[in-house]
Amino acid sequence: MTWLQRHLRVSQAMFYLAILATWEILPRVGVIPRLFVPPLSEALGALVTNYREYLGSLPTTFGEILVAYVIVCGGGILVGQLVGSSAVARRMLLPVLRSAVAVPLVVLYPVMMVWFGLGSQSKIAFASIYAFIPTMLTAVAGVAALNPALGETARAFGATRAQQILYVALPASLPSMVASLRLGGALVIVGVIVAQMLGAADGLGFLITRYRTLLNSPGVYAGIVLVLMITGLHEIVLRRLERKVAAYRQGD
Amino acid sequence: MTRPLVAIRGVSQRFGVDGATVTALDTIDLEIPDGQFVAVVGPSGCGKSTLLSLVAGLRLPSSGTVLCDGEPITGPMPRKVGMIFQEANLLPWLSAVDNVAFPLKLRHVAKQERLAAARRMLELTGLAGFESRLPHELSGGMKQRVSIARGLVQNPAVLLMDEPFASLDEQTRMVLGDELLRIWSETKKTVLFVTHSLNEAVYLADRVVVLSARPGRVVDDVAVDLPRPRSFAMTGTERFGVLKDRIWQHIKSAERS
Repeated sequence: MTWLQRHLRVSQAMFYLAILATWEILPRVGVIPRLFVPPLSEALGALVTNYREYLGSLPTTFGEILVAYVIVCGGGILVGQLVGSSAVARRMLLPVLRSAVAVPLVVLYPVMMVWFGLGSQSKIAFASIYAFIPTMLTAVAGVAALNPALGETARAFGATRAQQILYVALPASLPSMVASLRLGGALVIVGVIVAQMLGAADGLGFLITRYRTLLNSPGVYAGIVLVLMITGLHEIVLRRLERKVAAYRQGD
Repeated sequence: MTRPLVAIRGVSQRFGVDGATVTALDTIDLEIPDGQFVAVVGPSGCGKSTLLSLVAGLRLPSSGTVLCDGEPITGPMPRKVGMIFQEANLLPWLSAVDNVAFPLKLRHVAKQERLAAARRMLELTGLAGFESRLPHELSGGMKQRVSIARGLVQNPAVLLMDEPFASLDEQTRMVLGDELLRIWSETKKTVLFVTHSLNEAVYLADRVVVLSARPGRVVDDVAVDLPRPRSFAMTGTERFGVLKDRIWQHIKSAERS
């Protein structure tokens, strides 16, 4: 590791520390009212004191995220690959889908609660619908960006249709699949937490909302810290995956 | 009597573009004996590349037949015909040696055997020691060498080259031209070489076929009677200039019309 890289890491760490320190200090000196933002230590304290409650909300939350993740990423990538590999489908569907992204789907959530009830199904349904189209569009863009010359070359060397898919199309789409996973996963987490905040009987989002109604700011921020940890973990895992498939990128 | 290795007989190629029919190639007749180095030149859009893709079996002619070694071409015949494109078109996730071995993998050749063959080809194209490099770790010229090695790995009788040096800089292009002639003299392939560069055509080939603008027809078939091995000094000779000028006259009048 060179000095510059080490320096970069140190300055990055210092940047994060500075943010955390600001969070701790500003409420303590009274610049920000504690009701708006409690000091970091109080939020963490609430997390430790009520750890049973927070831990108890995680199985529901993770379960909902996981199911929606499979629906969004599995379905979104599959549909995206299909739509992306057909020029007709791209021309027919893409303009509609691109505009659909602008629709604030959160307005649908009350309807979904009527359809699916207060339990997990309505969270899964909302998060899936919320994340599906952007994930799919990322997958479509990935397929459309594939270099058709690679398939043509394989064909010239005698590749069958199946060999073209197995040896060329699939490996070449790996980076865009991981990009879709990264975006889709992040949106699913948002979708589930938002849905839980708007109407639920369990889950991390539900806890955050409940503490907010009780004007218990440390309780709210303890929940926020947990949400940040979940998204951060997801980001770290997918970045690693992205680096692993970097060799499959085509910009050589 | 030797029969031609590649025979193009009365080949026409028409495309439907927005309801209208465009004739890209019009009754082309061409016979290429075994071991000959043939360059195909012509104005932009004359169907040079289309002609090559017909011999590669990537498309079928609207009429006429293309024969390779007496057998009609109805699809890609990778064991008889090796293709080299303008871009190297290497699979970015495979090392140089795996890229060269790829056509053998498609035929389920055993791993040891195909890697050994690929290493021999990389050695032939001057890339010994670069076997495990990924494409993005190679220069443009080196990538095209890998592509040539891949075209040769099945030991095809015919090598088709579609403007293989067009995206390289002048110096790399000249070095690779000489390399190609060395490989050609070592392997005795029949080469069909499409190019925009008249210098390249006259310098490399035994024979230069000149196509007219759309629809592409053979307007001249120039035997290059410069001695082999070719050297850079020949490009300054009078004979070289005469040959180049004869081809240029066709291209010039076609580009004007």
